[in-house]
Amino acid sequence: MLLDPKALAKLSTVKLRARAVVEGVLSGLHKSPHQGQSVEFAEHKEYAPGDEIRHIDWKAYGKFDKYYVKRYEHETNLRAFIAIDASASMSYRSNGLSKLDVACALGAALAYLLVRQQDAVGLLVLRADGARYIPPRAAAGHLQTIIEALEGLEGKGTTRLAAAADLLSEKARRRAAVFLFSDLFDEDPHALKRLLQLRLRKNDLSVFHVLDRAEIEFPFEDNTLFLSMEDDRSQQANPREIRDSYLEEMKAFIDGARERCNEQDSDYELVRTDEPLDKVLLRYLARRERGR
Amino acid sequence: MGFEFANPAFLWGTMLAALPLVIHLFNRRRARPHPFAAIDFVLRSRRRTARRLRLKRLLLFLARTLLLLAVPIALARPQPKRADALATPQGPAATAIVVDTSLSMSYQRDGRALLDRAKEMAQKALADLAPEDPVTVVTCEPAAPPPKAPGFDRAEARRAIDAVAQTFMPQDLTACLVRAARALGESTIPAKRILLATDLTAASFRLDVPAPTIQTSQGEVKPEVVLLDAGGGASELPNVAITHLRVEPAPAVAYRAYQFSLTISNYSGEPKEDLAATLKVGDHVVAKGFVDVPARGTTVKTLTYRFPAGGVYSGAVELGGDALAADDARFFTVRVPRDVSALIINGSPHTVRFLDESFFVQSALDAPGSPVRPKLRDADAVGEERFADYDLVLLLNVRELPGAKVRELAEAVANGAGLFVSLGEKVDPDLFNQAFGALLPRQLHLVKTAVEPRSEGAQEKAARLVQVDFEHPALSVFGGEAREGLLSARTYRYFLLSPGAAGQVSQLATYDDGAPALIEGRHGKGRVILYTSTVDREWSDWPIRTSFLPLLQRLAGWLAGTLDERAVEQVRVGEPKPLSPPEGAEGIRFKSPEGAEIAPENADGAVVLAQTELPGVYRADGRIKGVATRVEELDFSVNVDPVESNLARLDERELKAYFGEKTRTTKVAGSEEAAPEVPLWSMLLAAAVGLFFVEGLLARK
Repeated sequence: MLLDPKALAKLSTVKLRARAVVEGVLSGLHKSPHQGQSVEFAEHKEYAPGDEIRHIDWKAYGKFDKYYVKRYEHETNLRAFIAIDASASMSYRSNGLSKLDVACALGAALAYLLVRQQDAVGLLVLRADGARYIPPRAAAGHLQTIIEALEGLEGKGTTRLAAAADLLSEKARRRAAVFLFSDLFDEDPHALKRLLQLRLRKNDLSVFHVLDRAEIEFPFEDNTLFLSMEDDRSQQANPREIRDSYLEEMKAFIDGARERCNEQDSDYELVRTDEPLDKVLLRYLARRERGR
Repeated sequence: MGFEFANPAFLWGTMLAALPLVIHLFNRRRARPHPFAAIDFVLRSRRRTARRLRLKRLLLFLARTLLLLAVPIALARPQPKRADALATPQGPAATAIVVDTSLSMSYQRDGRALLDRAKEMAQKALADLAPEDPVTVVTCEPAAPPPKAPGFDRAEARRAIDAVAQTFMPQDLTACLVRAARALGESTIPAKRILLATDLTAASFRLDVPAPTIQTSQGEVKPEVVLLDAGGGASELPNVAITHLRVEPAPAVAYRAYQFSLTISNYSGEPKEDLAATLKVGDHVVAKGFVDVPARGTTVKTLTYRFPAGGVYSGAVELGGDALAADDARFFTVRVPRDVSALIINGSPHTVRFLDESFFVQSALDAPGSPVRPKLRDADAVGEERFADYDLVLLLNVRELPGAKVRELAEAVANGAGLFVSLGEKVDPDLFNQAFGALLPRQLHLVKTAVEPRSEGAQEKAARLVQVDFEHPALSVFGGEAREGLLSARTYRYFLLSPGAAGQVSQLATYDDGAPALIEGRHGKGRVILYTSTVDREWSDWPIRTSFLPLLQRLAGWLAGTLDERAVEQVRVGEPKPLSPPEGAEGIRFKSPEGAEIAPENADGAVVLAQTELPGVYRADGRIKGVATRVEELDFSVNVDPVESNLARLDERELKAYFGEKTRTTKVAGSEEAAPEVPLWSMLLAAAVGLFFVEGLLARK
């Protein structure tokens, strides 16, 4: 199966992975909820530098002696931000794809789907040494820009979800869809809460909680020296001795994240790196559909 | 208190106790580094479980370390160090190890036989000997070969001690020590030592003979005697035993009834109450009784049983088992008389029943409970009868028989049949002597009339029986007032007998004038009793006396050879049993109580069964006239010697006085003050098993 994570891992580029995922998604959709863009007139807007000159309504100019730009329905299409946590912890992999690989593939696939239905997609790569931002555009060529930005992305530094929240609220000033891909491992216990405040600004926030199988199941047996991936902390432990406690902690963490998202009416999707990604997307889209 | 170890080499194994620490350190070093994104959760889990894990690890570490310590220490067989170890500073000593195997050594103390303790002590003592001490092992059984000269083959000595087996016989340890001393005399090492593992019961020693000495180049020396006290220093070994069993007929109870009189001895300071005594015939309990025995006293308990038919019966009387079980049972083999077939030949029949010569005899022999099955024939109708078919023939006032029948009768008697002869007016002395003279103990002479019957004063003038042999088996039942029934009989007329040679003739009773009344003789294998008067009321009133019925029945039994079979033999373990195989018997084999087949031996022309080492019933098989069959008449029982039941122990001072001041006593095996009930090594092993389970439980959690 092409979309098996192990098989997907063999595809070297994000683009190929994204395409493979999207194809899986498209073949899995029975009826597309996106029927193409509308070209009907929606409203006038006073011209501002940067607006398309070809959209100036000359009739309105004749009436009011002011430049007005015509806005069409398609221009009210979704503005989407794909935010990817690229901290060092995201580069963890127990087998096959790392969490970052999975986040990139899913992000690219989403971008593809959005661009395909004329939505504007932007990218925000969150990392400790500064975020990389690509503003949303609906142009077909824009997808290539996003995929190139995701290509070869490496996890570095610590997770700063609070900073990401600030950045996103700055960039997504009006209603936008935000797709966050992160393991949510943040030192700040209120980081997720800060992120979820994006909902207060009418943004549509979807959290893809990406976790490795080993992080969820803790399958280690032998005496192990666990090393932090973001700082110099370490802990030697006999995994069998702490497994029960670890699993309890992890379950509380996942349940807590899901609960907080639900409280803020945000979508929460737990993504295991060992599950087929098209299924993840289909599951997500199906839930979205049910929510409408 | 220190410890010593039977297998000290195993102590190297205690080094394994460091293994858990080594593994712990190794695992710490070996921990595989693994970058892990969810390290926060690992840290939190560690913090949460740290205290519990620390305790668990500590317990696991302790359990594993103790387990690895306990196993090798247990295998090393630790035991408290004895103050009386054998190593002596005087240098090497030739050593003889003597193990007492007498019956008393089967005494169970704390679940173990004293012999097992004695062997263990002997093995320990052997291990404690210095390498330069030559050693020999001496067994005390009389049939044991002479002991070897002391040598250095420890393995052989160990095997010899292991091979020492329990016997059921008493043993003369003094004689055994003399044998040991003789063996020690063959060693050139001047120092001599005897290690005697025994229960110190007084019955095993003869302190009235000189203590053993050894002839050496330096003269006669007394060996050092080390007593290994298998009794563990106990002040007494309490025991209750059946020390004697008397089995005898109880004719007063019933025909074929026997009474079993058990003498029960209590060799302890505590009285015993309600001891159950059971009588078993075969495997069936047929009688049971309870008995109280005072402290250090004896009680006789009698149990009675009536055997259903004649034959050979074996069984046992038993007490509830105590520490010395072997003397709680005594075995017996009883030959219960079979029915006697008798032919009454009536020489003076009468149409009136009570005037008939045989009336009283037949009534007496045919009475309920009588062992005799009589058949009545007139003298002139006896031609059809074969005397050989009868155990007993009674000639009652018979004048004569055909010559062929007389010869046949003589032959039957010679082959073992009994003959009872009574006289009367029909008997002509000359004719009778001519016909039956060869059978009679003495010849008839003439008739004497003491007084005419039914005449005035006849009762007072009549002859009376005097000088009755009440020791005779047929007459022994008459005791006390019962004798009056016999002595009160009046005889008016009787035959006088011709003088004859003494020897095989015995007078059972005489009249007051000294003339024989009852006289017994033998003809071949058969017995003949002559009564010199009548057995009807013509010449005597004895038939109407109370003694007539029992005496006639017993005389019938005696003459038929069934009364004397009642004597119950007492054979002790180890005693040879002389045998009298029946005619035509061959290939006789015995089955011992354990089921082993034993063949009798011919010794000095007599057949003897020598191997009677086990108490119990020995049953005989063989071939009679070529047919394989049980030969029950040869069955017999063997019992232990009651001397072994008295477990009174010798005092250490007495032994020192006897063997010399160098005598020492060790009590390690089961010493009341030192040795634990359970050996230390087994407790360690039990602890190791417990630790193993604890470890498993902790490791799983």
